[in-house]
Amino acid sequence: MLLLPQALVDGLLIGGIYITIAIGFSLAYGVMHIIDFAVGEWIMLGAFLGLYLSQWTQVEPLLLLPVVFVVFAVLGYLFQPVIHRVLSGKKGNPLLMALVFTFGLAIAFKGLGLTVFGFFSRSIPSAMAADSFTFVRGDFFVTIPVIRLIGLAYAIAVTLALSWILKRTDFGLAVQALAQNKEAAGLMGISAKRTNSWVYGIYVGISAMSGVLIGCMFSISAQMGGKYTVFSFFVVVLAGMGFLAGVPWAAFLLGMVQSFFLIYFDPGYTLLAVFIILYAVLLISPKGLFGKGV
Amino acid sequence: MRRGIFAFWLFIGLMAVVPAFVQNAFVLRIVTELFMWIGLAITWDVMAGYAGYLNFGHGAFFGAGAYTTAILMMRCGWTFAATLPVAGLLAGLAALLAGIPTLRLKGAYFAIATWALALAIQQLALVLDITGGPDGMRLPPFLHPVFFFYVMLAVAAVTFLLLWLLLERASFGLKLKAIREDEAGAMALGLNPARIKIQAFVLSAVPAGVLGGIYAFWITFIDPASVLADIITDQAMVMAVFGGLGTLLGPVIGAIVVFSFKTLFWAYLADYQVLYLIILGVVIALTVVFLPNGIWGTLTGQIQARNALIKGMAIDPAQGRHPEQGADSND
Repeated sequence: MLLLPQALVDGLLIGGIYITIAIGFSLAYGVMHIIDFAVGEWIMLGAFLGLYLSQWTQVEPLLLLPVVFVVFAVLGYLFQPVIHRVLSGKKGNPLLMALVFTFGLAIAFKGLGLTVFGFFSRSIPSAMAADSFTFVRGDFFVTIPVIRLIGLAYAIAVTLALSWILKRTDFGLAVQALAQNKEAAGLMGISAKRTNSWVYGIYVGISAMSGVLIGCMFSISAQMGGKYTVFSFFVVVLAGMGFLAGVPWAAFLLGMVQSFFLIYFDPGYTLLAVFIILYAVLLISPKGLFGKGV
Repeated sequence: MRRGIFAFWLFIGLMAVVPAFVQNAFVLRIVTELFMWIGLAITWDVMAGYAGYLNFGHGAFFGAGAYTTAILMMRCGWTFAATLPVAGLLAGLAALLAGIPTLRLKGAYFAIATWALALAIQQLALVLDITGGPDGMRLPPFLHPVFFFYVMLAVAAVTFLLLWLLLERASFGLKLKAIREDEAGAMALGLNPARIKIQAFVLSAVPAGVLGGIYAFWITFIDPASVLADIITDQAMVMAVFGGLGTLLGPVIGAIVVFSFKTLFWAYLADYQVLYLIILGVVIALTVVFLPNGIWGTLTGQIQARNALIKGMAIDPAQGRHPEQGADSND
């Protein structure tokens, strides 16, 4: 029982990071109806860019987040036309083919990561990593590492920025229109091609930035992608596919699952628990916890 | 059709006499493994090509079968032959359980769930005691390459024949294709899509489990990093996609091409093993963009188009959507 406050706080803090690995993904699904199997691989590539940049420039990795975002947003923007071509193909089942395509990408990125970065785990050295606050009241105590607090703050900032863009700008209006009805949006003069490219760029940029934060908190390796792909799938399915407002709650739930397994059970069972919850949700309420998925 | 049956038996007959002429253990091993991959590729294609649902956890059924055989032989003292039906049954049961909630939904959910299932089973094998955890399991060595050659050949051939009968001869294949093309329409015709898809999923998982069981006894050592690795699904998938989805021969041809390439790559460029992963991924991505019907689908599409041209028949462009009718699908 003494560890209960710690478990809750940890879950909240880890959950923050899971918001950011899933929110861009959910946005991309909502607009383009594409499941991107390479999501974990984008996170991995972003993390390594952060690692090498901070080693090279000797700058605090957290200050490099905007640089990583811009690099990967441009990459994603330039990459999207290929996916668009697959998705708008007339042969076979385009959605199926797009899934196969992103899966192939994920394999290729993983191979690329293993070739360039090797098999070893590393972590990104941040000046904030060592500090923490400790609160003690009676027998209870809570330790909050500064870096995780920054992670949560970053997650909240990204979520707010994204919701501001979607609700308050013309671009956001275009994105929403596209998600609701592609043909009608096209008739209103919205270029699906260009808007999708921006959405994909934003999603890839956010995922890559989250990779850097993950690298500051935990360790990174070329094989890390698969695990984060499953986590972001989990969050997105629980939230309801494409339902952005559900993402934070599902992410916090995943954070809680992880921290409780770490403290009270065997962390080896975390992925099993994740699958069982996913299974139960698909069985009972496939449209997510809030029933608002598409 | 008659020619097809003839070619099938000719191929089996030719393969059956291979061990009489080839004494080289390495070659036998390669061909045995090729049969295994043919089996995995065609069963993966049942879901992807015929039902239109992508199974990203095919390797999990293979691994579950391998572990079933290993556990029954080592912990319960069963004989090898007795474990194979159980390996297949267990893989089928896993498919049934995973399919019930997910196959009612859109393909995206199924893809996610099978991928998560594969990771969960991998994790389970790592933490359980009965599977030996990360150390894996050792089986009693049984050094008869020819025996395994015939067992793999038999299972792969029976699987192929069964799938051919069910998917190309019986109405089951037509029902699956109807659901793939238009689920609401298929329902209006009185079909039960969820049930048919679950049947197809179990049908694709059972042979994978049996092949896994044989593999465990053949290689005599299994661990999560070998029989439950992602690369098994990845490879079966690239074989089927590259060969041609929605056909039975496509994945077979894809398996032969990809596996030959892999063997050569491993033999001559073993220092660059991770490069293989890059090539695999790039091949999948490029095939999707430039050759969505695979090599076999494109080839048959071209032959059909030429025959149609010769006969002076008009081709309805709308029919070119399916790989097996792909008259206009060869750009």
